[in-house]
Amino acid sequence: MYLLKPDLHSRRAFLRRTGQLAMTGTALPMALNLAALGEAAAFDASDYKALVCVFLYGGSDYANTVVTFDDDSYNRYSTVRGGGADQTAGGIALAKADLAATLLKPTMALGGGRQYALHPAMTGMAQLFNSGKAAVQFNVGPLVAPLTRAQYNGADRKTYPLPPKLFSHNDQQSIWQSSSPEGSTAGWGGHLGDLAMSGNANSLFTCISVTGNAVFLSGDSALQYQVSSGGAVKIRAVADPGVYGSREVRGVVDMLIRQSRGHMLENEYTRVTTRAIAAETHISAAVAPTAAAPGGRPLNTAFPAENPLADQLKMVARLIAGRSSLGAKRQVFFVSLGGFDLHDNLITQQSALLGKVSEAMTAFYESTVELGVSDKVTAFTASDFGRTLTSNGDGSDHGWGSHSFMVGGAVKGRAFYGSAPPVSIGNTGAPEDQWHVGQGRLLPSSSVDQYAATLAKWFGVGDAELARILPNLSRFGVNASRPDYPVDLGFMV
Amino acid sequence: METNAPLVEEPLDINALKLGATALASALAACSVAPVRPQRAYIEAKTDDDAARFLLQAQFSASDAEITRVRSVGYARWLTEQFAVPFSETGWDWLNRRGYDAIHNDTRYYDNSYPGDYMIWHQVMTSPDAVRKRCALALSEFFVVSLTGLDFGWRSHGLAHYWDQLSANAFGNFRTLLEDVSLNPAMGFYLNTKGNQKENPATGRVPDENYAREVMQLFTIGLYQLNPDGTEKRDASGQRLESYTQSDVTNLARVFTGYDFDQSRNVVTVEPVQQRKVGSTAFTRMRMALAPARHSSLDAAFLGTRIPANTSGDKALKLALDTLFAHPNVGPFFGKQMIQRLVTSNPSPAYVARVAAAFNDDGNGVRGNLQAVWEAILLDDEARSRNGLADPKFGRLREPMLRFIQWGRTFGIQSTEGSWKLGDLTNPATQLGQSPLRSPSVFNFFRPGYVPPATMMATSGSLAPEFQIVTESSVSGYLNYMQNVIRNGIFVNTPNLPNNVRNAKGVLDIAASYKDELAIVTNASALVKRLNLLLCAGQLSAATQALMINGLNATPLSATSSEAVKLNRVASAIFMVMAAPEYLVQK
Repeated sequence: MYLLKPDLHSRRAFLRRTGQLAMTGTALPMALNLAALGEAAAFDASDYKALVCVFLYGGSDYANTVVTFDDDSYNRYSTVRGGGADQTAGGIALAKADLAATLLKPTMALGGGRQYALHPAMTGMAQLFNSGKAAVQFNVGPLVAPLTRAQYNGADRKTYPLPPKLFSHNDQQSIWQSSSPEGSTAGWGGHLGDLAMSGNANSLFTCISVTGNAVFLSGDSALQYQVSSGGAVKIRAVADPGVYGSREVRGVVDMLIRQSRGHMLENEYTRVTTRAIAAETHISAAVAPTAAAPGGRPLNTAFPAENPLADQLKMVARLIAGRSSLGAKRQVFFVSLGGFDLHDNLITQQSALLGKVSEAMTAFYESTVELGVSDKVTAFTASDFGRTLTSNGDGSDHGWGSHSFMVGGAVKGRAFYGSAPPVSIGNTGAPEDQWHVGQGRLLPSSSVDQYAATLAKWFGVGDAELARILPNLSRFGVNASRPDYPVDLGFMV
Repeated sequence: METNAPLVEEPLDINALKLGATALASALAACSVAPVRPQRAYIEAKTDDDAARFLLQAQFSASDAEITRVRSVGYARWLTEQFAVPFSETGWDWLNRRGYDAIHNDTRYYDNSYPGDYMIWHQVMTSPDAVRKRCALALSEFFVVSLTGLDFGWRSHGLAHYWDQLSANAFGNFRTLLEDVSLNPAMGFYLNTKGNQKENPATGRVPDENYAREVMQLFTIGLYQLNPDGTEKRDASGQRLESYTQSDVTNLARVFTGYDFDQSRNVVTVEPVQQRKVGSTAFTRMRMALAPARHSSLDAAFLGTRIPANTSGDKALKLALDTLFAHPNVGPFFGKQMIQRLVTSNPSPAYVARVAAAFNDDGNGVRGNLQAVWEAILLDDEARSRNGLADPKFGRLREPMLRFIQWGRTFGIQSTEGSWKLGDLTNPATQLGQSPLRSPSVFNFFRPGYVPPATMMATSGSLAPEFQIVTESSVSGYLNYMQNVIRNGIFVNTPNLPNNVRNAKGVLDIAASYKDELAIVTNASALVKRLNLLLCAGQLSAATQALMINGLNATPLSATSSEAVKLNRVASAIFMVMAAPEYLVQK
């Protein structure tokens, strides 16, 4: 059953995929059925897989999240960030002794004696890493093509293009999610949904946000469906037998809020309302906390309280628990936590924020174990951008590349991927100064397109489709004569 | 057409000649660039609907008396009259009148945000200078400070003064507003100018870049170079031209070093229970103070301006803000967003150009005169012509907070105890999903360039900023919240006390009176007609009105019916209207 009828957008997507977009003016076949496109071929319809994007709004400070630990690197870090004597805390540097409990112990040691620990508040994440259930991707961020610092500093933008609007929050959020700045209307999570939705009984439940609107989840035909962390919101005026005791008034409201309108804004608003009403009963049944609902299951994993990210991830877990009731084979979820734009009070606030991330993602992983889908669900972090390595006194400023976490049974855990960036704010031609663009703003050594491709491939997307949903991917990898920027970063089984 | 209108020559003011060379130069400059005054086709409100439509763009609500006045004096004069309405009680003064400056451990107002919510709701629901407050609210979505991001002692007072400065400057000049915003302590906290210090090579410390970046990106010039009509300039290869670089940010950041709260007039009180020393509220109304020793003495080169090394902090700030203010982007960048807030999401480039021209020169050679900007927005043919009513893309989705304020002001909302305990209503699943001065970040509740994916807006390349907060949850939460509030009012704990005591016996302290609606409640047609005028400026179709009237008449009602039955009918009518898409999109 389709809650969502194929419309203009899906026809456009079909044309795009079948290479007919140039044929404008051609009469569109009206009997199009998405399920007949054969796109499900990319996916094994017998299993279930889900990707969960955990977006850290504000730009996460990479240097205090995945903290350089070996003495040589740590001492450089401490010098830049105003640390105290004898590797004690100071400025915005963490004390080395506080990092011992969250030291990461990869199966294969990094070259050059490099070692890393997580922020002391991230004990859960460190345990996930050390038990092989999580990995770290170093220095990933938006790139149009592989780029060196000299090319970044040069003037030849034609040969060496930059992602637009670097260092700007709203635009880099959008670029991370969709390869385009503010105003973008389709993201790579949504494009995964485009490919997956025909395999789901209810296409609407393919891409689900448990936070606000995010372009990440919109595709050409896939829509973002949004639920609150308490589940789908029932509209009383429709669900109840009357409004202020009147059945007739209820009927009028019901009609008004769902009617088609000639005015563009009015019509889109009523479309959202119509969708909300149609979806609510399905969602409410699927996430019912008892096994009473068909296909629903109780969820016993304890999630931390006073943690909005945990509330959202708990709802994701409940939706996954109800996946058969929702008829879902492939799903992409989006959750978020805000407050990472720590120009000030970095030390005090980062501790609370990263603690929430770690506890929420740890609980979520445990819930997937309880549900028996730990190797079918992969959660990963992303953020607007990384931040400077330098300190502005008690915080850091907008940067570019950052480190990401990947969590789940299908992640090749207990490992680092990508290149560990040198700890440097120097502006010379020396090799150690080549992986930042000033003040320790990391120049990404892996692109978001590579990162997305790695996740998408695990999700079931074929090579040809990858190139279509990730517009810059063709500039990376062996086929682009850049084996140093592989299309598959290797962190998924 | 405006472009064909003759140049209106400004007469040279003979008095200016007596004022010396500077005045003469500016008077001459005013002559030489005398703007084309738009020849406006819509001077008078020919119908009550026209008048209500204008009122609902210019302020929060429309009343019978205001409609009559607009029809009597015309749009422009009515607006001029509103510019002259005295600035009503400030939010800061209201907080003190309600006792929120008291220092006691039981209340700890200095540590709480809720007085700030009560303050702003009281302001927007009751202030008699409604046009000023409507414009200030639009400004608060451009120069964003959010109570959600304030975490310092007396944050509610700090926010109140920030709001008061937006209100005070709403009919003033953009340059003054920009300076007041830049040195305001709440903004100083929000975007980190407070405590910002110069570079220190010994520790590696560098200036905080946050304010320097956002004052350019969000408060003045935006990311891309603009044409006077708000469209983006392109180079020969079709690329957009960025308006500043990271180097501009790093350099400008030096200008905003050395500032902190001005504690010079603070009086410390020892709180009697916990013996905590608490300073007074004085600093929240004072500009941040400059400590010269903490101000960067490096030169700062940005946007083609160079502030030499060792320039004093005050002078550097003036040079920096003058540079930003003079940038040609400001008029179209700011003007387009104000059009979006008040009139329509997708103004024509010509409309933006007319508003930008008014920003650039108010007709008297003054740049940044905000009265001229509001006039240019609200009196423009594109806002006034009925063509917009037939255009399926014209208008804007009413923001949830504006729907709620409109409801309150239209139907005589009152707090029986005067405490106005209306809190943060940002929960989208159970409340409005929006609350004044409660943006989730400095990027406002929604972005001016937002295009909702998978919609006709995306297909046609149209903007719909307010749709960024439209989700399956928020459309449902809004309906549920309003269904309760319209009929019952707002439940408040201990409305007789200013502090936020929980678990006490509460009452529905805040409610609408519906006096004029109850007076015509026996006549469903008259009731719907009235709501159509006041809430929708007559924009409900005849078919929709008929549906509503039938819905109401299904429940028999006479003059002798109970108050509850009468109230049900009034509430039903209002709820149907406020649920209707024809209401939700303001055209």
